[in-house]
Amino acid sequence: MTHNRMKNEIAIIGIGSTGYSRSGGRTAKSLAAEAAVLAIRDAGVKREDIGAVVSAPGPGSWLLVPPGSTEMVATLRLPNITYFTDGNGVMVAPLMDAMNAIYAGLCDYALVFHYNFRSPFNSKLAAADPFRRNIKGYDTLPPETVKNAAAYAAWASRYIHDNNVKREQLARVAVNSRTNAVDNPLAAMRTPLTIEDYLKARMVRDPLSMLDMDLPVDGADAFVLTSAERARSAPYPRVLIHHASQGLCETAFDEDQLGSLAHHGQDVVVKQLWAKSERTLKDVDVAYLYEGFTFITLSWIEKLGWCAPGKAGRFLEEHWDAANNRLMIDGKIPVNTQGGMLSEGGTQGAGFVRDAVKQLRGTAGPHQVQGARTALLAVGGFFYNAQSMVLIRE
Amino acid sequence: MPGTADTSSPIWERLPNAPIDQDNRAFYEGWPVHELRVQKCADCSKWHMPPRTICPFCWSFNVVPTAVSGRGRVYLFIILSQGIESPGVTYPYPVVTIELEEQPALRFTSTMVDCALSDIKIDMPVELAWIDRSGVPFPAFRPRRGA
Repeated sequence: MTHNRMKNEIAIIGIGSTGYSRSGGRTAKSLAAEAAVLAIRDAGVKREDIGAVVSAPGPGSWLLVPPGSTEMVATLRLPNITYFTDGNGVMVAPLMDAMNAIYAGLCDYALVFHYNFRSPFNSKLAAADPFRRNIKGYDTLPPETVKNAAAYAAWASRYIHDNNVKREQLARVAVNSRTNAVDNPLAAMRTPLTIEDYLKARMVRDPLSMLDMDLPVDGADAFVLTSAERARSAPYPRVLIHHASQGLCETAFDEDQLGSLAHHGQDVVVKQLWAKSERTLKDVDVAYLYEGFTFITLSWIEKLGWCAPGKAGRFLEEHWDAANNRLMIDGKIPVNTQGGMLSEGGTQGAGFVRDAVKQLRGTAGPHQVQGARTALLAVGGFFYNAQSMVLIRE
Repeated sequence: MPGTADTSSPIWERLPNAPIDQDNRAFYEGWPVHELRVQKCADCSKWHMPPRTICPFCWSFNVVPTAVSGRGRVYLFIILSQGIESPGVTYPYPVVTIELEEQPALRFTSTMVDCALSDIKIDMPVELAWIDRSGVPFPAFRPRRGA
C-alpha cells in the first residue's frame, strides 16, 4: 500500500473552466465542450495528440445527462482515441483513471472533463427550465432515508452532538469560502458573507442550513494530463501529481450503517496519503479542504492531523483571520482559495484541482500564495467519495 | 391508526413505489403484519441492513428475515424543512436513524411520531410505532414507554 510508483510521474498541463452559475441557458454538453477546448488549448496540444478521454459527471447530473466520453469524442472529433471511460463524479478518481492510462502507456495525453448540471430536484430555477423537464434525479428518494446529501446532515447531527460544535464554528467554513469567491470571476456566489449572515440562514436539513451545503450549479472544468517528461515542453511550469488516492470504507454507500465517525473513507485516504507523500503538513502552501457540507471540513482537519479528533471547531476559531474574514492555518496557509464548493460551486473537487494548478503555476490572481510549491487537496466526504491529492511544483 | 393487515394482495401491488425485489421482499412483507424484519445470519448470528441475500460478515447465504424487537436509540437525527411530496409527509419532517438494540451499528432509518420536534434528542430510547401510509402499515418510531 505504500508503493507510489507514479509519484511525480504525471503532470497536469492544461486547465479549462466555464465558471459556474445558477442562471442556466446551456446544456451540459455545451459547457463540457467549452471547458475541454480551453484545456486542450491551454496545454498547447492538438486534437490529434489526445489519446484518452475520461468523463466525470458530477452528482446532480450523475448518470442522467450527457456527455459521456464517447459524446465528447464525437463533439470534438478527436481522431486518435485509444482509451476512454466514464469515471467517478468526484474529481480525483477520474484523474487517477487518466494517470493510470498514461503511466501504463495506453496514451500520451489524456483529457479529463467534469461537469455539473442542476437537476429539477435541487434547483427551483432548474425545475422551471422546460429543457430539463425529463431529467430524473438520483435524489428523489422517500423522505425517510439518509442517503446522499441527507446522509451528511444526519452524520452532522452526530458529529455536532459528540463534539459540542457551535454554529459559529461551522460558520467559519462558509464565510471563508465566500470571502475567497468574491473576487473569483468563475464563482457563482460573490456577495460578501459574514458570520452574522450565516447564523440567520434558513435551515434546510437541520442541523444544516442552506449555507452549510454546497451550491447546485451549471458549469464544467477540464484537464489535460501527460507524463512528467512530456510536460517539459508544455507552456507553463510543470505541475506534478505527487500523490493521489481514493478511500472507501467497508459500509460504502450504506451510509446509515457506518460503524462510527472514528473510521470512514477519509481515514482510508489519510492513511495512504501520509504513507506515500513525501511532503507533509509542514510543507503545505495552500490547502483545499472539501466543504460540500461544512462539517466535512472539520472532519478533514482532524483526520489530516492538524488537530485532535473532535477539536476542529476550536481549531477554526484559533486559525481565523478576523481582519480578512477568512481562514489562515498557522497564519500562512489559506484554504479553498477559489471559493470552495460552497461559493464557487459544488464541483466535487474540480474547482480545487484547477485552482491548485493555478497556484502552483503562479497564476491564481488575488489569492496567489507567493512561491507556492505544495498544494494539499482533501476532497469528498465519508462514504463513496473520499479522495486526496498532493500537487507540487519542483 | 395503522393500516390494515390485509395480506391478500402481493406487497409490490400495495406499495407500488417501493423498490421491492427478491432480496428485500420479506422486509416489506413484514409491514402488513407489523413486523420489522431484518436479515439475520443463521450461521454467524449477525444481523445486517439493508437486506441482502449474503451475510456481509461471514458470506453465508443462509440468512433469514427475522423480526426485531423494535427497540433502540436515536443515533442520527435531522429535520427536513422541505422535500419531495410523499403521502402522509408534512414539512418540517423529522428523520431518525435508530440504532437497534439487537446489535451495535445495526440501524434503520424512518421518522418519529408522538413526539414534538423539540423533544427528539440523540441517544433517546425509542420503540416501533406502526403508522398508516396510504392504507399500508409503515414502520416509524416513538419515545419508548416503560421498559
